[in-house]
Amino acid sequence: MKNIFIIFTSILSIIYAQNGLEIATMVDNREVPKDIISKTTMLLTNRKEKTRNSTILSKSSNNGSKQILWFLAPSDDKGVAFLKIEHDNKSDEMRMWLPAFKKVRRISSSKKGDSFMGSDLSYEDMTSRSLEENRYKRLEDETLDGKDCFVLEVLPNDDIKSTYSKHITWIDKGSLIAVKEESYDLGGGLRKKKKFFFESISGYDVINKIFVEDIQKNHTTTLTMEDIKVDSGLDQSLFQEKNLKRLPSN
Amino acid sequence: MILKRLLFIMICPFIFGQLSINGAIKPMIMFNISDQDQMNLPFRFAQLRMGYTIGDFDLLINSALEHRWGENQSSNFILREAYATWFPSWGEIKFGRQIHAWGVADGNNPTDNLNPYDFYYMFMQGADRKIGSLSLSVISYWNNWQLEGVIIPSHVSNRLPFNEPEFPFQIPIEPTEYEDRDNSLEYGLQLKTVIGETDIGISYFDGYDRSFSLLGIDTFNIIQVSPKFGYRSTSAIGLNMVTFIKDFTIRVESALFNTINDYEAKWYNYLDAKADYVQYVIQVEYRMKSSNTIGAQIIGNNVLKASGNTLDLPNMYMTTLNTNNFVPGMGTPFAMISNKSLLVIGSNRFFDDDLELNYNLLFNMENPGQLFGLSLEYLLSDDWFINVSASYFIGNNDPINRFEQLEDYSNTQFQLSYTF
Repeated sequence: MKNIFIIFTSILSIIYAQNGLEIATMVDNREVPKDIISKTTMLLTNRKEKTRNSTILSKSSNNGSKQILWFLAPSDDKGVAFLKIEHDNKSDEMRMWLPAFKKVRRISSSKKGDSFMGSDLSYEDMTSRSLEENRYKRLEDETLDGKDCFVLEVLPNDDIKSTYSKHITWIDKGSLIAVKEESYDLGGGLRKKKKFFFESISGYDVINKIFVEDIQKNHTTTLTMEDIKVDSGLDQSLFQEKNLKRLPSN
Repeated sequence: MILKRLLFIMICPFIFGQLSINGAIKPMIMFNISDQDQMNLPFRFAQLRMGYTIGDFDLLINSALEHRWGENQSSNFILREAYATWFPSWGEIKFGRQIHAWGVADGNNPTDNLNPYDFYYMFMQGADRKIGSLSLSVISYWNNWQLEGVIIPSHVSNRLPFNEPEFPFQIPIEPTEYEDRDNSLEYGLQLKTVIGETDIGISYFDGYDRSFSLLGIDTFNIIQVSPKFGYRSTSAIGLNMVTFIKDFTIRVESALFNTINDYEAKWYNYLDAKADYVQYVIQVEYRMKSSNTIGAQIIGNNVLKASGNTLDLPNMYMTTLNTNNFVPGMGTPFAMISNKSLLVIGSNRFFDDDLELNYNLLFNMENPGQLFGLSLEYLLSDDWFINVSASYFIGNNDPINRFEQLEDYSNTQFQLSYTF
């Protein structure tokens, strides 16, 4: 009994002693699926409550550092596909297949603030956040929707040319998944509010819904992931230009 | 029993494969700016695209219904593409009537000479202005390398608007026949790779001009003159590149053409034309903070050397072919309008992205001439769009100036689109 008490208090002291970087490292080291396949519905809602719906098939690997997306709907966008490969030592590679032009178009990854297909998610929002490229400060813990959360202030390093000045991120202590985030523009104004929802699939906590609100534009995006499959053994050769041109049969 | 078999054959594709059908209905009306008269040029009223996927195979049929309003109202079904693709692990093999797209610049591609152009749609973008041709294409991918080979068994020429008073360029002669070739096989090769953050590609194409030329004249006597029309043999070596400098994307594309009249010299007057010319496009694009884009292209056509004979058409006498009177029969259609032009393209979105404004300004850098193009597209719902556009050309009162010829083509267009 005494031993259990000592272990418990040690864990508590470790938790309370953790600084921002250590929490971010824990989040970074969280066990994630090798790959994820999902069918995503993207609902865009503007300030007049007018909506636009898209359906996307997504396949990603290496914690999202390699991702390929195919638009299935609306009919006007059907067949448009997007490939992203993040590199450690050079700029990320982004290519789009535009069926109407019959061309794979290389696009710039430097404009991280660009909206992805009219949504409130920018390419930066869709890119994995590298541990070394940010500074982390732990704020007062909070309870959010009944979940005990770490609260981190994430400050992008100057050299990465982020479109944000900082993020405040709420991380569920149980799953080590970010459940809420507020992102601030370079002027320090609140730009986006994001909420993340997750479910347990094959022993992993996997995000199944993302809600993004662009405060400045009064525009929202809701991404709902369905038919989520993890560890399907995706072949790395999938993340090649040639696979953009063809909607996968599964 | 036969009925059961037939039913099984009909049902099979739906069980084992995946059928997809999509398309658009796009009624459009076009008015001349100068006199507000309706212009009755043909346009694609409806498009239908059917795809069928089974295993590593795809079948695609891309068709359109071309319609013309007015007194000569008519509709034509056009099979734009019909081809099969096999996707082996190393690449893709496509065979059938298809449209290829080479090059890295947007819209104007000197290296993209595999398909002829439909000049009725010359102001459209991308594959919309091309004509499909029967060909075999093999693409092999190996790490960052991509090698493509295309074989076109039989030459196909541009679709030119003859006897079309509302079309901007009047073609003075409509040949009644073209000189045959025993073999009009064409082929192209393209190699692409990534070096650092730069995409680089080289290409080679060997084929025949897409626009016709006068090759010779048979003179039986002073009254009976028989002009001979056909397509010169032309090869093109291409180079293209995409790179990024800070927030700018640079796309460069260039092709060196070598053309020759290689028909047998069997006529009384044989026009032994021979020329080298280069076409290039330098495109710079910049995405602004608000996701709006602006880009510029410098489009150039430079005849390096030309030799042989040609016919001075207005005066009907033989003259020496030189860099001033040589007319290219292949390459980007914009090179027909000007030897050096600056095109500025931009887009902005308004009203929560419901309204998209696209604009393009074309300046002739050698002679007076401008084009101002504006297009507004409003999103009514996920599937319905309304588009209003205007193109306005300004020339310089010189009848041989292309922009002067285009002035009467200045128009406004109203289009409703439904996609399914």
